[in-house]
Amino acid sequence: MFERFTRDAREVVQNAVEHAERTGARTVDPDHLLLALLDREGSRGSFALTSLGLDGERRESVRRAVTEARRRAGLSRAEADALAGLGIDVSEIVARVEEVHGVGAMSGDRRDRGWWSQGRRTFGRGAKQVLERALRSAVAHGDRHIGDEHLLLSLTLLPGVPAEVLADHGVTYEALSRILHGGPGEAKAG
Amino acid sequence: MTEATDLAERAGDRDPRVGLRAVAALRRLLEQLEAVQVRSARNQGWSWQEIAAELGVSRQAVHKKYGRH
Repeated sequence: MFERFTRDAREVVQNAVEHAERTGARTVDPDHLLLALLDREGSRGSFALTSLGLDGERRESVRRAVTEARRRAGLSRAEADALAGLGIDVSEIVARVEEVHGVGAMSGDRRDRGWWSQGRRTFGRGAKQVLERALRSAVAHGDRHIGDEHLLLSLTLLPGVPAEVLADHGVTYEALSRILHGGPGEAKAG
Repeated sequence: MTEATDLAERAGDRDPRVGLRAVAALRRLLEQLEAVQVRSARNQGWSWQEIAAELGVSRQAVHKKYGRH
């Protein structure tokens, strides 16, 4: 699959691994791919983000939101709301755990290394889904190569923290499709 | 207030999607809680066997999941 990735897309994947390693995450997750995309300049994905108003300051706001969600066990607002429907207050649980185990304990990240930091990070299920969806999206558009813009599109399509945070900042699948393909693009169910 | 109403409606929602999403979210919450507690126990010198016994799983299961490779 990777041989069809553009240089930009490969660098995003590589940078996502670095983000995961730097924060001591167990696996490479979709939010690491998003953080890596936000670091890009001059790529198609970066151009699309900038066109939708994500300049330096707004990108920083996205980074903060992603980090904040990770602190809440990586749960999106939709997921936290679903749990609230069951009477489970995620912020309360996070607050209590952090009281005993320190800030960021529920993020699954380990800054002190050693515990699960040996070896190369593997891609988690969510991140694999992002890559697979990017491939399908490229094929659906008849694009021969998978660029970082396909990774971005993919992140907006899969439910989770990246899609939610991006939508909060005006970056939706529809908006991206308009910029990248000049139309609504493939059907959402595709 | 509208938020509180929304939540109240959601709690009584018959839409399976809402219930399933809650279960999936609960599972993720559980995974993180388990990791925090296992780590804490290891830091305090607990053996894999002792941790497994408390979690109600086999020693192999917990070691495979959290042990070093």
